Amino acid sequence: MKHKKAKKQKKVKKQKISRPHFKNIKKRDINANARQKIKVNIRTQTPSTWCPGCFNFQILAGVQKYIESQIILGKKREDFAIVTGIGCHAKIFDYLDLPGINSLHGRVLPTCLGIKIAKPELNVFGFSGDGDAYAEGMEHLVHNARYNSNIKYIVHNNQVFALTVAEPTPVTEKGYRDKTTPRGVKLAPLNPIKIMLAAGASFVARVFADSEQVNKVLEEASKHKGFAFIEIIQPCIIFHDDKGYKERTYNIQETGHDKTNMIAAMQKAEEFDYNSKVGKIPLGIFYQKERDVFEEVLRK
Amino acid sequence: MKITRGDSPKREKMRWDIVFGGKAGQGPNILTEVVSEGLIKKGFYVFYSRDYQSLIRGGHNFNILSFSDGPLYSNSSKIDILVCLDVNTLEIHKKDMKKKGIILKGEEENMFFAGAVYKILGIDLKILEDELRKIKNYEENIKHARKGYEKEKRKLKLPEIKESIQNLSFMNGSQAISFGAVASGLDYYYAYPMTPATPVLTELSQMQLEKNMKHKTVELENEIAVMIAGLGSSITGKKVMVGTSGGGFDLMTEGLSMAGQAEIPIVIYLSSRPGPGTGLATYTSQGELNLALYSGHGEFSRVVLAPGDPKESTELINQAFYFSQKYKVPSLVLTDKHLAEAKYLLEKSQKILPVENSIIRMERYNSYEHDENEKSVATEEKKVIKKNFERRMKKQEEINKEAENFEMFKIYGKQNSKNIIIGWGSTKGAILDAISEGKIDTKFIQILYMDPFSRKIKPILEEAKNIIIVENNSTSQLASLITQKTGIILNDKNKILRYDGRPFFSDELAKEIKERLR
Repeated sequence: MKHKKAKKQKKVKKQKISRPHFKNIKKRDINANARQKIKVNIRTQTPSTWCPGCFNFQILAGVQKYIESQIILGKKREDFAIVTGIGCHAKIFDYLDLPGINSLHGRVLPTCLGIKIAKPELNVFGFSGDGDAYAEGMEHLVHNARYNSNIKYIVHNNQVFALTVAEPTPVTEKGYRDKTTPRGVKLAPLNPIKIMLAAGASFVARVFADSEQVNKVLEEASKHKGFAFIEIIQPCIIFHDDKGYKERTYNIQETGHDKTNMIAAMQKAEEFDYNSKVGKIPLGIFYQKERDVFEEVLRK
Repeated sequence: MKITRGDSPKREKMRWDIVFGGKAGQGPNILTEVVSEGLIKKGFYVFYSRDYQSLIRGGHNFNILSFSDGPLYSNSSKIDILVCLDVNTLEIHKKDMKKKGIILKGEEENMFFAGAVYKILGIDLKILEDELRKIKNYEENIKHARKGYEKEKRKLKLPEIKESIQNLSFMNGSQAISFGAVASGLDYYYAYPMTPATPVLTELSQMQLEKNMKHKTVELENEIAVMIAGLGSSITGKKVMVGTSGGGFDLMTEGLSMAGQAEIPIVIYLSSRPGPGTGLATYTSQGELNLALYSGHGEFSRVVLAPGDPKESTELINQAFYFSQKYKVPSLVLTDKHLAEAKYLLEKSQKILPVENSIIRMERYNSYEHDENEKSVATEEKKVIKKNFERRMKKQEEINKEAENFEMFKIYGKQNSKNIIIGWGSTKGAILDAISEGKIDTKFIQILYMDPFSRKIKPILEEAKNIIIVENNSTSQLASLITQKTGIILNDKNKILRYDGRPFFSDELAKEIKERLR
């Protein structure tokens, strides 16, 4: 009897909220929607031009799964905006039927910021490659970490400029050779996790290019109010195929990492320098602490 | 075609020029303001320009305030009253004094000189006191002003003006641009500080504090971010303007080109100063016409407009929003330091076109060549590419056609004259005053629409005996544009060019024009 009453109340509540945030929905409702067989497919008909077996397919699947789950829960296609840069990663724009813009190389974050400033209610997802994020767009990356606009920023890090055929990026390891660097890379790579922590990013995470990991981290990042930096370790099977990466990874949440502790986060970030062939690669949320959000401060 | 001011005056207009000079921080600006207010209240027309160095304290800064019993829009090179806030000012400017000119000097506060100038000009001290009461800590200032007024015994002989000035506002180009942008429905103004575009950022930021203002100003890390974030906001259906000077605009050009490809409306306020490089940070130049016309890679449509005074600044920024939204193209409004910072007494424009947003809700945009029928995904399909180019080109034709309904150029002066002076932008004021004060037999064509360029200009130029061009640059960029658009090649000897960072003086310009018409 008691149980029935609770169910009734739940129904009334659901009618009131036309576009429920997923926080307000219990698992039961998802199942209810699933039973009604609501089918959502945000994949365009555009055939993919990524190389067969590319890890970008894993990222696409993870993103697609997350956003489709949100649409099933009541969000609309128009509640999302996607922004991409230029490079292999950017092809994801053609495969996701969502509003947005395939912007310029390095300019993903200012594009996201402009959208978010004008329409704070949109769920804005930015996608960049490592060249896009850490070379051409580094100034925007550091400043956007400081602005803390509620943007979810995903970096497909394959440690190489793949679409321009194999040149080194700022995160390519020492000794890497290609036709433009016949004597090999002489400089040590940047550590973007450390940069983001130092620049004040309020959510810093790294995952491997695996659809489940991508889906999960997007769930966590979307619960976070503020700028979320998500780096995806994504081997390039043609130019930077480090098959050893996945085996070296472990999840820092499973080893009791305190994500509110900046010093602990820095220490975890130090464990992988993007250069060494051995040692563990920590994955998970390095740091998370909410603070004022740019688009809200602008309106105060 | 409209005939505007500058028709041959019925009687000779009289003019006086006052120079206020001193070190940065000594307050020549506030001094110029309070004297201007007094003169306007007495019924005089006032114009003043600012000459200042790129420093915060010290150096030599001066303002030239010109006034007349009829409309005037420029300074002349000769000084009637020289106000020296420091010794340097006297040394630098005494050579330009008129024979019976008055010099004010001595170690006094700036408002002492305001009082003295009021006395010389025969303006009631009460007007000055009322002006000063609007400023903080006015008691001290009023004390100094009274002292200056009492001590001063000299007098400038001025005519009594019976008609008072009504319905005119005293404003600079930056204020007029800001007013026009807000009147057009501005939502966001993105900028990074750069002289001489910064006064628009300041003005719009201050306006936000007023009631019922919806617009926001946003300062970001550099002009690249400014332009790109502007485009980001624009695709959500907001009206966006970005502002900068040449160096900052260089950084914006990749975004400009994207706006061309993705067809995103954006208004760019480009206020020039002399380049190349950092050039002269606080001086004036018309060296960026080519930059405005040809910047950005690839081929795409744009609108480039150049106002000649504050009234036109308001009207043209509004027209820039109109064309940008209607045709989803970038629109540029080109001014310079002189127009941005000089103050003119003109009627405030009420000619504001309603601007409708062309983007109702955000869809999909692409900096790649894309297929609009296939969710704007990137395409390399030759048929689609060709169709896209043709569609964008057709848009240019439509813009050209509609623009002819606007005042793309204005004609002043003697309609039947065989002589023509051509100019654009801020040189308008000096040209108009040079013609009327020098009683020169000429027409003056002011070009406001640089791109598109009116088809009606060519037949007018073809009928002329002499064509003189006046520009604040060293290569006569407008002459190149005229040749490109009309096939008419202008005589190099008839190019009056000033490129020392300073605007034209009306008397010097009149002399230069006369020499060429002899």
